[in-house]
Amino acid sequence: MADSTRPALEPRASTRPALELRGITKKFGSVVANDRVDFDVYPGEVHALLGENGAGKSTLVSVLYGLYTPNEGEIVVDGRPVEIDSPATAIRLGIGMVHQHFMLVPVMTVAENLVLGHEPTRSGGLLDLKAARARVREISERYGLAVDPDATIEDVTVGTQQRVEILRALYRGARILVLDEPTAVLTAQEVQELMDVLQRLKQDGTGIVFISHKLGEVLQVADRITVLRHGRKIDTVRREGATEQSLARLVVGREVLLTVEKSQAHAAEPMLVVEHLHVRDDRDLEAVDDVSLSVRAGEIVAIAGVDGNGQQELVEAITGLRAPAEGRIVVDGHDITRKGVSAATDAAVAHIPEDRHRRGLVLPFTLAENLALREFRRPELSARGWLRTGRIRSRATALLREYDVRGGGPDAYASSLSGGNQQKVAIAREIASDPKLLVAHQPTRGLDVGAIEFVHRRLIEERDRGRAILLVSLEYEEVRSLADRILVIYEGRIMGEFAPDASEEELGMAMTGRQAAAAG
Amino acid sequence: MSVGAIAVAPGRVGAPRHLGIAGLILAVVAWVITLPPMLVRTAVPSAIIGVLAMLAGAIAFVGDERRLGSGAIGLGLLAIAGATGNTNSSVAHLKVVFTWSILVAAMLRYATPLLLAALGGIISERSGVINIGLEGMMLMGAFFGIWGADVLHSWVLGCLVAIASGALLALVHAWFSIHLRANQVVSGTGINFLALGITGYFFIADYGSNGTPSGISQVPGVKLPLIQHVGFFGGAIGNANLLTWIALLLVPALTVFLFRTRWGLRLRAVGEKPRAADTVGLPVLRTRYFAVVASGMLAALGGAYLSDAFVGSFNQNMTEGRGFIALAAVIFGKWRPVGALIAVLLFGFASALGDRLPTFSQSAATLFQALPYVLTLIAVAGVVGRSRAPASVGIPYVKE
Repeated sequence: MADSTRPALEPRASTRPALELRGITKKFGSVVANDRVDFDVYPGEVHALLGENGAGKSTLVSVLYGLYTPNEGEIVVDGRPVEIDSPATAIRLGIGMVHQHFMLVPVMTVAENLVLGHEPTRSGGLLDLKAARARVREISERYGLAVDPDATIEDVTVGTQQRVEILRALYRGARILVLDEPTAVLTAQEVQELMDVLQRLKQDGTGIVFISHKLGEVLQVADRITVLRHGRKIDTVRREGATEQSLARLVVGREVLLTVEKSQAHAAEPMLVVEHLHVRDDRDLEAVDDVSLSVRAGEIVAIAGVDGNGQQELVEAITGLRAPAEGRIVVDGHDITRKGVSAATDAAVAHIPEDRHRRGLVLPFTLAENLALREFRRPELSARGWLRTGRIRSRATALLREYDVRGGGPDAYASSLSGGNQQKVAIAREIASDPKLLVAHQPTRGLDVGAIEFVHRRLIEERDRGRAILLVSLEYEEVRSLADRILVIYEGRIMGEFAPDASEEELGMAMTGRQAAAAG
Repeated sequence: MSVGAIAVAPGRVGAPRHLGIAGLILAVVAWVITLPPMLVRTAVPSAIIGVLAMLAGAIAFVGDERRLGSGAIGLGLLAIAGATGNTNSSVAHLKVVFTWSILVAAMLRYATPLLLAALGGIISERSGVINIGLEGMMLMGAFFGIWGADVLHSWVLGCLVAIASGALLALVHAWFSIHLRANQVVSGTGINFLALGITGYFFIADYGSNGTPSGISQVPGVKLPLIQHVGFFGGAIGNANLLTWIALLLVPALTVFLFRTRWGLRLRAVGEKPRAADTVGLPVLRTRYFAVVASGMLAALGGAYLSDAFVGSFNQNMTEGRGFIALAAVIFGKWRPVGALIAVLLFGFASALGDRLPTFSQSAATLFQALPYVLTLIAVAGVVGRSRAPASVGIPYVKE
């Protein structure tokens, strides 16, 4: 009965859950990904599913969306037990999914993507794209999600692509919307817009399942929060009364230090000196505009700013990946300007890249191979053109232990690890090269609290060992808890230098350019 | 989207592009005026027009239409050289070679089997499956088409037998590349050898060394009553083969199917991003099966044309790489039916010309047969440029 009409403006606390998962167990061989998990969501409610990477969130969602069949348990939609054996069934039952990696066809338009699989047609099966466009406009107006129906997906921003995914779910009549790590790829501005959209959907009676490992945004958006750990449901708590600290404890299973303890920095001689650097981006536009900065041994200098303000190009210039147009880069007295990556490597510059899949690791390689990638030329690891595979393996084994990498030994493929463990491998390789300067570009992107804690602690330790660290990050908290000095970048210019205890307002002002350009 | 989006760099539909195209057209004009019926006997006008073409190309080049511009410059040079050659050869020879109606008719004959196979290739590749096996599927059609027509005494049934044989072979390719997730290039190559073996065996077994008999029911031509005797048109298309017309009609039909129907949208989605198609509830594997089988049917029909309409007999390996030319036409045509049509017409024209050029020099006859390949190469490299394949072509789909 309930699946024919969409409750227009139902009061929030509805009596019956729109969706219930009862005792879901899903095994892969001997691995239990979900162990008797209960979960439900009411109409007009946001219920967050929180947990570390690998805690079983994605598995649960795949069960819910018909991608996996559970070994045990029951799914109930609107009070009726159902069997969801394919996404098509899930869609028919009113379950919509916004995937972490968007399921859109890049070369097709917004309208085409929206109607795919459910196309309005005129007689003879001809596509009625006019009707499709009209539908896009209608739904996007109703929920305040502005999109251009004729834009091609690959030309629009990630935030817009996500809107299209949400719109598509609504177009298919979703009353339960599942968002899998929806903020992972968004800018701060886009996150805020998404939160607004979720509020409107809530008021409209949509039940929302919000999957995330970010404590802050879960507290911001969710009415209830269910925590998964090692495939088990640990607890379901109401937002009222929950704090980041209490959630982190549930997620990790122990006390977590959300802010790292660090002692006073003992900064020594300058290790990196950048003078009047100008760098152009791929479109040949000036991305870095007259940046000068220095990082001394034993300190962490953070570059803070909104994504896309020249951080990428700055990092690429310093690590030798991109030749700057003007200016000088000196590392420990060696001028490495325009000398490429090998000169930077020789000057002991290590680089934890922003995108560990694209640049940090070779996913189809084993961990041992990945860990040797940087230093395989050294005589310990190769001789006369032959790799010393035994030593490469034993070195890898030691590093994996030291960095507490879980999920596989030296012969495991990098692709088989979770994001947090992959990042640990990338960091292990870079630090093992004993760098003088470590450039860490968003080192905790996409990691869960436990892994973030590890990375943060490690960076502080390396600082205390006298390495110079240049940290580029988009996260306020990260910048403020790690950095000894903060440089804010906006449109390729350094807007000023701040102490780590600078207020969020101060930093925010500088990051949006609302400050007299006090060039650094 | 579809038609308007053909290969146009976003937001750059402007003067340089139009100039580049104008340059190409001018270059062709420079060459054509020295041919019958105009037969200008001095190269001066051609030289002037050719230089204009190159100028237009140069401006287009500077305006960032590099490939089109360089294409116009190159073609302009070729046109001047060709025109000079024409003015130096005898009118009689020119009239023999460049009888346009005959050239066009021959072009269509050469183009038909390629077009059918290329359309098949487009369907298959748009769904995400590379079909190197087009060649083998054509060969199957070629043998079983004429065999069916012989045994069943009907060209209609012959064509149906051909289509069935192509579908069957395509099913093998589909099974390997979709179900078993084998490498599609390897599977397709295997298909080609398999077809060579099957057709070779049955050919020898059924017809021995005598070859296919004469008097087999053949696919007829279509006599167009109104224009059959009207000069150029009468000669060119007044009596074209039925399958030629079918192939030509399939071009708009397939275009509409791919870009204007829900089935086409789904097929393309499967070829671009199968996981996305899967998550909206579309049957990825079934769609690919359908597409591969359809491509086998079309390729086999092209083969049947070859044996039961064009040549009138079968001999071993008679497709001689036409399946691969069709594959090139798919890429040249940027996975669009109209593009593939242009490609096969160019190839067909070059083949027709290569057939007649020995009038000038018997000894260079073999050299002239290379003309279609050379022209195709130049066109692909010089004018068309990089084309973008469906994103997931060649990648087997694994359901989560």
